[in-house]
Amino acid sequence: MRNRLRRVGLFSALAIVAAVPAAAPAVASAKTTITMSGSTTVAPLAALLARKYLQVCDRCVSFKLLQGGSDIGVADVAAGRVTIGNSSRDPKPSDPGGLVFNTIAHDALCLVSNKANPLPGLDQAGIQAIFGGSVRSWSQVPGSTQTGTIDLYTRTAASGTQDAFLKIFMGSTKVFSGASQKGSNGLVEQSVAADPGGIGYVSLAFTKNVHTIPYKGVECNLRNAKSGQYGGVRNLYMVTRGAPTGATAKWINWITHSKDASKIIGTQWVPLT
Amino acid sequence: MSVNGSHNAKPVDRTDQRAELALGALASAVLLLIGFMIVFVFSKAWPSFAHNGLAWFGGGGNVDEQLANIFNSPANPSDYVYTMHAWPLLYATALITGGALLLSTAISLLSAMFIVEFAPLAMQRLMQPVIRLLAAVPSVVYGLIGILVLVPFVGNQVISGAEKDSVRYVIQLDGTSVLVGVLVLTVMITPIMVAITTDALRSVPRNWTEGAAALGVNRWRALRTVGLRAARPAIVAAAVLATARALGEAIMLSMVSGSVGFAPNPLDGTTFIFEPARTLAATIVDNAEGLSVKPFGQTIYAFAAVLLISSFFLSFAGWAARQSMRKYTLQAR
Repeated sequence: MRNRLRRVGLFSALAIVAAVPAAAPAVASAKTTITMSGSTTVAPLAALLARKYLQVCDRCVSFKLLQGGSDIGVADVAAGRVTIGNSSRDPKPSDPGGLVFNTIAHDALCLVSNKANPLPGLDQAGIQAIFGGSVRSWSQVPGSTQTGTIDLYTRTAASGTQDAFLKIFMGSTKVFSGASQKGSNGLVEQSVAADPGGIGYVSLAFTKNVHTIPYKGVECNLRNAKSGQYGGVRNLYMVTRGAPTGATAKWINWITHSKDASKIIGTQWVPLT
Repeated sequence: MSVNGSHNAKPVDRTDQRAELALGALASAVLLLIGFMIVFVFSKAWPSFAHNGLAWFGGGGNVDEQLANIFNSPANPSDYVYTMHAWPLLYATALITGGALLLSTAISLLSAMFIVEFAPLAMQRLMQPVIRLLAAVPSVVYGLIGILVLVPFVGNQVISGAEKDSVRYVIQLDGTSVLVGVLVLTVMITPIMVAITTDALRSVPRNWTEGAAALGVNRWRALRTVGLRAARPAIVAAAVLATARALGEAIMLSMVSGSVGFAPNPLDGTTFIFEPARTLAATIVDNAEGLSVKPFGQTIYAFAAVLLISSFFLSFAGWAARQSMRKYTLQAR
C-alpha cells in the first residue's frame, strides 16, 4: 500500500513537471531574440519599429512582443524574464535597483471632452478645479455648451498615463474620489465619447472620437507636441537591466538615432530629435 | 481452455493497474495544485492582513486613495504602506453577486418549469441548445454589450439630471452602476441555472408527479409541490455554481459596474441602484498593472485570498444545504 502511494506521488510530481515547460520560453536559436513586454501605450509603437528594423538589418534578430502595462514591463525586465520592459511612466523610487530607463520617444497627453461639448480651452487651475472635484457642474465652466454634472474619467493608480497626468497637470491637487477609474486609454475614450457630460485624458493616439481640449491655449496635436509648445508631453521608455549591450544596444540606438525610426515615431508620437 | 483464459487475463490486469495509477496521479496532482495555490496566495497576502488586522475588513477612508498610497510606497521595505480598509469592495461584491443571484434564481426556476412542463415539444427542442449556447458565451462579450449599449443608455436616458446633481459632490452617476452590473450578471448566470434545473426537473420520476395529478392537483401545483421539492438539491447546486461564476466575474464587471471603490448607500432611495460599485474581482483586474510594486501586489493577493475563502464557504454552504434537504429527495428513497 505504501509502495503504491509513493508511486502515485511520483506520477503526480511528473505530471506537474511536464506541465511547467510549456510556460517557459523556447530554447534560444543561433539568432538573438529580443523579448519585450509592458506598456500598452508603447506596444503599438514597438511593433511598428520592430517590423521596419527587421527589414533594415536583414532579419539580424528576432522579436517577441508582449503587453500587460508599464509595471509588468518593469517587473519582467527586473526579474530577467524579458530583454526590454516597455514603460510609459517615469522611474519610481520603489523600482528595483540596476534598471536603466532608455527614453525612446515622447507622447502627448490630451484632455478630451465629448464632441457635443467642444471646450475652447483649459488652463492648469481649471483642470485642477474640475478633476479635483471643486467644480462639479458644466455651467461653472466657461465655454461649455453643457449644463449638467461633470463626469470625470480617470485611470487606475497603477497606470503609466495616470502617473503622467498627476505629474503634469495636477501638481499637489488630489483627483476627486468619485471619479470613474478606467483600465485603459480605449475605455476612457469610449466613455467620454458616449457621455455628453464627460471629460478625461488619453494618449494622443486615442483621440479620434472625442474633442481634444486646448491646454493653456495650445491645441493638443502632433505638430504642437513636436515643436514643444504643448505642455502635456511625457516620455516613453524601453527599460533594460543595466546599460543595453550587443543586439539590444544596437536596436535601441537605431530607434533613437536613425531617420527610418524617427519617421515611424513621427506618425503618432514625438521623436527625440 | 482455462489455462488459456488465465493467460489472457494477465495483461488486462496490468493495463487496469496502469490506468489506476495514472488516474490516481492526475487526481492527486489536482489536489496538490489546489494546496500549492492556497499556500501561495496566503503567503503572498499575509503582510496586508497582518498590518491591518481586522480593520482590513472594516470601512473608513477612501479605498482608491489607500490603493494609490500603497502603490506609491517608498522604496525602503520598512516604510511600505499597507493601510487598507476593504469594506466598500466586500460590500459591492456581496451586493452585486446577491442581487444577480436573487434575480436569476427567480427567472431560472420559472423558465425551467415552463420548459419542462408547459412548453410545446418543438419549443423544448429549440430552447435546450439555445440555453446551453448562452451559458457558453464568454463574459467579455457581455461586458462589451454592457459598456457600448447599456451603460450609455442608463447614463444618458435613465438617470435624470436632478439625480446626478443630488449626489454630485459625493459620487458621479455616469451609467456604470450596480443596476447594470446586476442586470448583465443575471443574464450571464441564468442560463447555467436554467440548464441544471431543467435536467433536475426532468429526472424527477414521472409517477411522482402523476401520483399528485391522480389526487386531483393541477399541473402547476404538482410541479411546484412535488417536482420542485424533489429537485431542490440540484437547484441549490445550480445556485452555488452560478454564484461561484458571479463571484469570480471580473472583466465584465470592471467594464460595467463602475470603477470606483464606492459603497452605494441604500439611504439615497432610487438613486442607490445607479451608484457605482467595484467588486473584489474587478478590483484585481483593474489594478493588475501594479503587481510589481511589492506592497501593492500583496494587497491584491489579499483580495484574491478573500475570494478564495468565500468560494470555499460557498461550496460548503451548498453541501450543508443539500444535506438538510436529503430527506425529501430521490436519494432518500
